[in-house]
Amino acid sequence: MTSKIEKEDLSRRNFVFGSIAAAGLTVAPGVMLYQTANARDLSKPVSSKVRWGMLIDTTKDVDWNKCVEACVKEHGLGNEEHSRADQRTQYIRVVDVKNKTTGYSMSLPVMCQHCEKPPCVDVCPTGASMKREDGIVLVDRHRCIGCRYCMMACPYKARSFVHETLTDQKTTTPRGKGCVESCNMCVNRVDNGQLPACVEVSEGAIVFGDLNDPESDISRLLAKHGGKQIRADLKLNPGVQYQGI
Amino acid sequence: MWLQLNINFSFSSLLKGSLQKLPLSVAGLALMASFTTVNAEVEQDELGPRIEIPDSSGKSCVLPEDEIRRKHPDMLKHDRILTLREGVRAKADGNNLDGSLKQCINCHAIKDDNDQYVRIDNDKHFCVSCHKYAAVTIDCFQCHRDIPEGSSNFHALSGHKNTDFSSVTPGSYGLTVKDMANIAPEVSSDDK
Repeated sequence: MTSKIEKEDLSRRNFVFGSIAAAGLTVAPGVMLYQTANARDLSKPVSSKVRWGMLIDTTKDVDWNKCVEACVKEHGLGNEEHSRADQRTQYIRVVDVKNKTTGYSMSLPVMCQHCEKPPCVDVCPTGASMKREDGIVLVDRHRCIGCRYCMMACPYKARSFVHETLTDQKTTTPRGKGCVESCNMCVNRVDNGQLPACVEVSEGAIVFGDLNDPESDISRLLAKHGGKQIRADLKLNPGVQYQGI
Repeated sequence: MWLQLNINFSFSSLLKGSLQKLPLSVAGLALMASFTTVNAEVEQDELGPRIEIPDSSGKSCVLPEDEIRRKHPDMLKHDRILTLREGVRAKADGNNLDGSLKQCINCHAIKDDNDQYVRIDNDKHFCVSCHKYAAVTIDCFQCHRDIPEGSSNFHALSGHKNTDFSSVTPGSYGLTVKDMANIAPEVSSDDK
């Protein structure tokens, strides 16, 4: 490894899949896991100096369903037995859009957009819907009473409600009946210095990183090519941004 | 006539006296009997079934037994707020938080006769064994997993306690990287 590469490793903020650090992840997985596990001091609370975000390049020819599958596997979704298809939990949806005049069609993954000013947090009566200091929006199921106000408030339709008793949840994603849930940006993986599950399988089409760090890959890409937010007119400043929409 | 009266009187007084004395003696006997019952071997029958607290395989818990029994609800509640809302996932020394439900389950998981972990609907489940006895209804396991996850079989307390993992390298013994992550203390916080 050259000294430059080592410097990149040491910064521990290089989360781009397909980058040098991620190549290390595939070559020597065990070793990289320990190195990235020290991404931050896990005994300290997360800090607002970091703001996690994602940049999704929809022009890349990627099967977004692979991201959905990885998400389902990571969080142990899809174990509802009695719910209708439209009731089952979705953390990521693949949205197909078509321009009728030109016939141009495209698809993009839509998940919780991890807004800077999340309306779901504004409306939550119990403080269950919350934004972590590092910008990740999630549901504290200990406090969620299942009123579903946040589902109505979310302009991205990102949240789901669990309608039935669940068993065999993942240890890392506790989820159960009567609670609202949504994409949590794989907070358990991020805390351990890993990439979110969808990013890992996206073949570089989704870039994950720290929006507050101008040196991070996501910030560089955004500075160079720009990014678009869905419903930017709402001024929620989502942490998930898109290219090619 | 006099004799008859006398007899009648003495009989009635005798009857009266015995009626007065009888309840006392019965009560006294009952009292003595109750004392002897408490001190006797049959004590458990009167107190209800005995809880069989599963063996912890020799390793001590995060606190002494009497303390953890009293404090574990507060510890779990305290650390769930720390972890979920603030992102704290380890103690300063890098070990798991004391109130980590995952860690409770990993150590205290009980296996049945078929070598399968018992679920929360089984009275032998570690948490259930006490909570059912004490009539405590908790809903932790409506969301949380009630048994260790897959590779957690390799936890030091669950049947592999004599295995030396320090010499195991990733890829050997059919272990995956995730297994190794479970074994390695520095990344065992909340990742599988």
